[in-house]
Amino acid sequence: MAGVGFRRWAQALSKGKGSGISALLSGSRAASGSSKDTVLGPPPKSPEEMAAAAKKYNLRLEDYAPYPDKGEGFGDYPKLPDRSQAERDPWYKWDHPDLRRNWGEPMHWDFDMYIRNRVDTSPSPVPWSTMCKQLFGFIGFMLFMFYLGETFRSYQPVAPKQYPYKNLYLEKGGDPEKQPEEVKNYRNLMT
Amino acid sequence: MADYREAPLASRPKTLDPNEYFNLSKEYRRAEEDRAAIRASLKMQYQTQLNNPHRKALIEDPALTRWVHARANPYLYFKPTFKTSLVGLLFGVVPLFGLYYIFKAHRDRKEAQIKAGTLDRKFSLSS
Repeated sequence: MAGVGFRRWAQALSKGKGSGISALLSGSRAASGSSKDTVLGPPPKSPEEMAAAAKKYNLRLEDYAPYPDKGEGFGDYPKLPDRSQAERDPWYKWDHPDLRRNWGEPMHWDFDMYIRNRVDTSPSPVPWSTMCKQLFGFIGFMLFMFYLGETFRSYQPVAPKQYPYKNLYLEKGGDPEKQPEEVKNYRNLMT
Repeated sequence: MADYREAPLASRPKTLDPNEYFNLSKEYRRAEEDRAAIRASLKMQYQTQLNNPHRKALIEDPALTRWVHARANPYLYFKPTFKTSLVGLLFGVVPLFGLYYIFKAHRDRKEAQIKAGTLDRKFSLSS
């Protein structure tokens, strides 16, 4: 935008009708740049302002509703229904088929959120509450069971390994002449 | 699906909308016709520009320009009210100072533990 202004100024200086200064001060401006039709206006209050804003955004007066003026910076931008582009008819011949939008159609404030790659407000096959209950019920149940498993741990019973031949007396380098002591690797459960 | 209920991220499909089947009033039909008229005029503008054999430039979309301008200038009609100031504080000021203090406290505690030798290096592979 600044580049356009500088170029315009330089062109006015170079081929202006009078001297350079008078061309600048003549008060005429180029027809390019943003016009009042493409600029966000102040929040409309009177019916005339509402009608003008509706016309600007290509909406019927009854369809046009500005955001409530809470100083959040919306201006006179229309509040369109919060529906994503994924909900629109896939078989209609849109001007921009991937965005499911026609040329000149007013865009939602959060249009970049509602494209088909992102947030989707399409109806779900099962009611929302059912989906929430199923998902969080399953997750909650699994978390609870894991918690129980951590609190009340149970393992296979194990004991130290028992070796034969009197605890491998000869293999461990014991004297073959000597008689090693008796090794009992069991316990009499009857007494 | 007679018991379909809407949710914030799940809207009512047009085929389950009772207006489609029961609303035959003149006002509703007239409204639909007006919307179709606006749509048709926009379509014609676009198609004439699109199929113009002498056109060399891109077709600029004024709705897109308006949207871009609106999103790029959020402070044109901004007014500092209680709600907007609260939001600004919560998202701009509180995280800045809060995170600074949280990180500083955590790191100071860790440094003190290292100096005292009580830091529990649970996942250290080199010891």
